[in-house]
Amino acid sequence: MASQQPLTNRSPLIIPCSYLTTEGNKTGSWRFLRPQYEEKTSPCSAACPSGEDIARIQMLTAQGSFKEAWETILVENPFPGVCGRVCYHPCELECNRREFDEPVAIHTIERFLADTASRYELKFGLDKLAARKQKIAVIGSGPSGLAAAYFLALLGYESDVFEALEEPGGVLRWGIPLYRLPPHILNEEVSRLQDFGVHIHCGKPLSRKFLKEAKNNYDAIFLGCGHSQSIPLSIPGEDLPGVEDGLHFLKKIRRGDIPSLEGTVAVIGGGNTAIDAARSAARLGAKVILIYRRRQQDMRAFAEEVEMALEEGIEIRELETPVEIASQKGDLLVTLQKMRVAQEDLQGRARIKPAVRKRKKIRVQHLFIAVGSSAAEDWYDLPSKTRGVTKFNNCVLVHRSREPVLVYGGDLAASIKSVVHAVASGKEAAMALDVLFKEGLKAIESTLKSCLVGNGPSLSMEIYLGGPRGKRNHNIVSYENLNTDYFRFAPAISRPRLLREERLQSFAEINLKIGASLAIREAERCFNCGLCNQCDNCQLFCPEIAVIRDDNPQGRHINYDYCKGCGLCVVECPRNAMVLEEERL
Amino acid sequence: MKQVLEGSHAVAEAVRLARTQVISAYPITPQTHIVERLSEYCADSTLAARFLRVESEHSALAALIGAATCGVRTFTATSSQGLALMHELLHWASGARLPIVMANVNRAMAPGWNIWADQTDSLAQRDTGWIQLYCEHGQEVLDTTIQAFRLAEWLNLPVMVILDAFFLSHTYEPVDVPRQKSVDRFLPPYQPRFKLDTEHPCAFNQLAPPNIYMEMRHNIQAAMDDSLAFFDQVEDEFEDIVGRRHGPVEAVQCEDAEVILITSGTVTSTSRQVLTDLRKKGEKAGLLKIKLFRPFPTKAIRELTASAKKIAVIDRNFSFGASGIFAQEIRAALCNHPGHPLVFGYVAGLGGRDVTTAVVEEIYWLTKGNDMPQGESIWVGLHEVDHAIGQS
Repeated sequence: MASQQPLTNRSPLIIPCSYLTTEGNKTGSWRFLRPQYEEKTSPCSAACPSGEDIARIQMLTAQGSFKEAWETILVENPFPGVCGRVCYHPCELECNRREFDEPVAIHTIERFLADTASRYELKFGLDKLAARKQKIAVIGSGPSGLAAAYFLALLGYESDVFEALEEPGGVLRWGIPLYRLPPHILNEEVSRLQDFGVHIHCGKPLSRKFLKEAKNNYDAIFLGCGHSQSIPLSIPGEDLPGVEDGLHFLKKIRRGDIPSLEGTVAVIGGGNTAIDAARSAARLGAKVILIYRRRQQDMRAFAEEVEMALEEGIEIRELETPVEIASQKGDLLVTLQKMRVAQEDLQGRARIKPAVRKRKKIRVQHLFIAVGSSAAEDWYDLPSKTRGVTKFNNCVLVHRSREPVLVYGGDLAASIKSVVHAVASGKEAAMALDVLFKEGLKAIESTLKSCLVGNGPSLSMEIYLGGPRGKRNHNIVSYENLNTDYFRFAPAISRPRLLREERLQSFAEINLKIGASLAIREAERCFNCGLCNQCDNCQLFCPEIAVIRDDNPQGRHINYDYCKGCGLCVVECPRNAMVLEEERL
Repeated sequence: MKQVLEGSHAVAEAVRLARTQVISAYPITPQTHIVERLSEYCADSTLAARFLRVESEHSALAALIGAATCGVRTFTATSSQGLALMHELLHWASGARLPIVMANVNRAMAPGWNIWADQTDSLAQRDTGWIQLYCEHGQEVLDTTIQAFRLAEWLNLPVMVILDAFFLSHTYEPVDVPRQKSVDRFLPPYQPRFKLDTEHPCAFNQLAPPNIYMEMRHNIQAAMDDSLAFFDQVEDEFEDIVGRRHGPVEAVQCEDAEVILITSGTVTSTSRQVLTDLRKKGEKAGLLKIKLFRPFPTKAIRELTASAKKIAVIDRNFSFGASGIFAQEIRAALCNHPGHPLVFGYVAGLGGRDVTTAVVEEIYWLTKGNDMPQGESIWVGLHEVDHAIGQS
């Protein structure tokens, strides 16, 4: 308390004035709620089958740290170039931004990062763990086999990948058309894995005997042989000339054996292979009719692919199925049975029955069958006996005494047949084997559970490796958890594509590159749900100046001597990266 | 130089001439023209002031409290609900002894929504420790605003310059705008007696326990007391340089008056006309204009009304459950003064209703014709309302 002396003969002023620091007043003693920095799980990352740390990838991209963003993908998925093109991106369906305006174009950013890494020939700086003595044989060099070998290499294991065909890649090379995945992208990703220490032996078809022989050289075998055998229609006329297996047709094109198709082509089926075969046929000059026994909405093919097929002029005939194929004057006469929806299953998919006396015939020049596929050899199939069998989300482990450990992965065991599930399967297998070798069979389940992204089923290798992601709360950030006052409306970028007319002229890749400025703009749209992006709102709004910047990884800490626990920082955090909890006495 | 100025712009010119350094305000009708003009002056560098845009009147005054504590000349303007929203900080500004100058355009309080002239908004803030000056015309607005800075900075008290909505804020009149040189002579740069200074860190206005709080309040009242004498000194200096004075009160023909009309704001101008007419008819009428409301010029009022038999106070405001507020104050000022005249209170012109010469004249005749006041307040010119809710 002091009064200041007047400058002239005015009356003195009496006002409270102190020259002591106010730091002695430790307002933190008033606190009964404690704010803390606590990162949480973004919904996109939990929706990604391979558990990519998407919110962080977007944050790094927005900051222009493209290499770090790319490496953040690589910890969880060795194929950003492939998945940035062919993944069906379930992440975007769960994006919280969907409730605000439009989801972030996560898929496009992934492709951008892969393109950027390729353009600047970036080398990724992930370190392998110390070498382990166990060795693993991987059968099949499709996405699951390569992912398994990659993650095993990361964990310090040597492996040999055996590929029956002359080049690696499996379905990525032979089953996905060029316009979705140009081969040089695949080659680049595969050679990066080879540089990382994955040994791939091509032209090495294996037989059942290998399972027994391997015991001498390998501690475990990963079977990622895929479903490369088409299922037949089992109707008369299936063996007529002009009738072909859809997968075989796609493989032929990838080999460079490109037929010219004239007239009308019928494709039977509703999965991705059917769509791929239909769109490839359209590029070869044919008029294409896709015949599917259920409704269009019931198709297993990814909706975006179906949409593009329609754009490219493919006619979809739904609720029809071929019952007979006949040859007539060099054409194929296909008898179609009309189907009707008898009921819908729990997922809303139609259950169908033939409609009585409703058949018609169509005349086509070619017919491709794509009604599904299965394992090419019966020894690829999961064992029928349950002894020693442990099922995980995307792989099956068989551990029997006096036999090598078997892990079935990829299409043989994954919950959904997709590239990204194959990657998830390879990762799960690598983790499971690592735990098995180090701690035994019983420890696998609990260890995998501790590596779930959110509540799973996706797994994180970064969490497994003890990275900072493991410190995050498993709660998934909902739209209501965000403070959207701090976000502006901004439409998603439009993904650049070839024009419809341009697409049909060749097998050129449809989706085009985007530039860095566009990618940054799009990544900036990301709410970074649950992550601190150093926006500093907590510091700005703290009425006690109790948020102190420092150089720990969080970038700041709370000075609890002065924090009154008002919770303003937690409320003003746009992205739910803080938590307010009752003070424990 | 004489210019034709709107009352609002007379305020803005004065703030410009005062070389104000920080302005913060939130727009509200009918005050908006004041800060609109000032923001233009800040934008085009006519005035080298920082204009702080804020989201409410509460924040506007809070911002100025911060600025004034740092020792700069500050100004804000508001009206009605905006002033009410500042209420808490009005106390703070005076308690912290900050010389903030504010223009308040008198507007009725809602509901019902009414943007027109009514003094209740500022009179409801009479106990907040601000000096209050009610102006009659554009010239007085300009002169008083310049003087307000001198008053505020000398006394370390905030000052409110008050003008009627539309009748004054939006009315164009010829106004003499003094030269910058003259104003600079009258109003030198602000020399704060205390300020926040990072070179000499200190904290102001923390805890004041019972052993000092009363002394602080008394200290404010002492400054209020000083201000009566100081106001005269300020007017003297202003008159020397600019050649005008308006007075804390102004008595017109009160010396021999039997009935004195007491007014404030623009009603005074109307009453001047009525007075002339009444005098022509031989009536012994007088007029007392009250400009300075806080501190209340008790002594001057006692002296100037001493010879009258009756006074008629016209209030464009009302304190519910009591009476017109000027009438209250005048009754309080006179009650311990032996032989004081009878006080007749009248309420007129609320919510912008015109107080015409006929209304003022009616008030005069009512006062003259009654031996005793017929109640604390007579509401003049009330209409019959036949559509009230809940009528049976």
